[in-house]
Amino acid sequence: MSLQLIEQSPLVLGAGDLWRKGTNADFLSAIRDGNLPSDAFHRWLVQDYAFAKGLAAFQAVAVAKTPRPAQKVLIAGLSGLDGELDWFEQKARMYDLDLNAASHPTCRRYVDYLIAAAYTQPVEVLLPILFGVEAAYLCAWSSLEASGPYAEFIQRWSNPLFVEYVTELLGICDREPDAIQQRQFNEVLRHEQDFWCMTWDG
Amino acid sequence: MLHASLWQRNADLAHCLLEHPFVRGMGDGTLDRDVFRRYVAQDAFFLRAFLKAYALAAAKSDDFERARVFHDLMTGVLDELKLHASYSATLGIDLDDVEPYAATRAYTDFLLRVAWHGSLAEIVAAMVPCMRVYQHLGNELANSLRPGHPYEQWIQAYSGDEFGQLCARLESLLDEIASNSPMVQDAYRYAMQCELDFFSAPLENL
Repeated sequence: MSLQLIEQSPLVLGAGDLWRKGTNADFLSAIRDGNLPSDAFHRWLVQDYAFAKGLAAFQAVAVAKTPRPAQKVLIAGLSGLDGELDWFEQKARMYDLDLNAASHPTCRRYVDYLIAAAYTQPVEVLLPILFGVEAAYLCAWSSLEASGPYAEFIQRWSNPLFVEYVTELLGICDREPDAIQQRQFNEVLRHEQDFWCMTWDG
Repeated sequence: MLHASLWQRNADLAHCLLEHPFVRGMGDGTLDRDVFRRYVAQDAFFLRAFLKAYALAAAKSDDFERARVFHDLMTGVLDELKLHASYSATLGIDLDDVEPYAATRAYTDFLLRVAWHGSLAEIVAAMVPCMRVYQHLGNELANSLRPGHPYEQWIQAYSGDEFGQLCARLESLLDEIASNSPMVQDAYRYAMQCELDFFSAPLENL
């Protein structure tokens, strides 16, 4: 299991330059360079929590549509997402942030897209969407070395267990994506790109 | 009345809509025909989602009278789509093959998310602004009608009694089933903002 397998998957290759745009961000570069403004970090934390709550709703609906044994992967992922929400809540208390603050319109559009898709798209399309969300996050954070003040955050989304989960998601997607699956995967990457821009630009 | 209070609360966005270059251009007849053509195509895409949202609202109604209101509102949307189909012939648009703008997609994703995932109150709160805004714009622009006005058909459709009655029935339903909660206020305002973005998009996506 490796990042290479994920980055060489047909969905990622089929996305072309959208993959690079969805996994590179000024926000991440600033972490690497050690000059991330605290307001950007706080914005990211609050909005990513709102996003994770929306993703949990998406995934809960997707679980119900996914046949076994693939369903096991999604159920385990949902459980992990629950732990992630707890972790965000703990961090928000530590930094004294209000997690009930209004969602940024960019975050809102992403969540609306995911939840609408959960209900309206078949499972064959939902799996590439979920793979897109998680693979993009894994590869974005994996470009950083887990050190410095944000080491815990980098580690959280670049560790071997997360690689394993994303690889399992890839394993339950169709081997050769059709046009609709690729289009929705690409749509996820556009939302990822917008989301990263929002964390940086406000 | 909740519907009046929400409309009042969003008077700033209603004002921006009335003063929007797209709307002003439609009123005085100077709106570029190609911009209008792009708008009609996007609106046809949007109305398909709007129709589904009414259907889902009906499915979430235990009360037959409420279901009847949604049924009539769906008929109203189908009539609007007929109007768009009549435009499509003269404007040369294929309404079955529309690539949505980001603003259109944001609005339809919002509506479908609420319609599938939200409560009946939230669905109606998300849908009233579209009806209310169009009635408002239709009534305001009706004053500028003159013989041979290029957008007469659009203005008449939304300033007419029939559309006004449908809007009033949906607003009554909002008063009946929704409370003035943050969720309802938020859905209403976000839909108003989506309306504004929707009118901007055909001017920006040249």
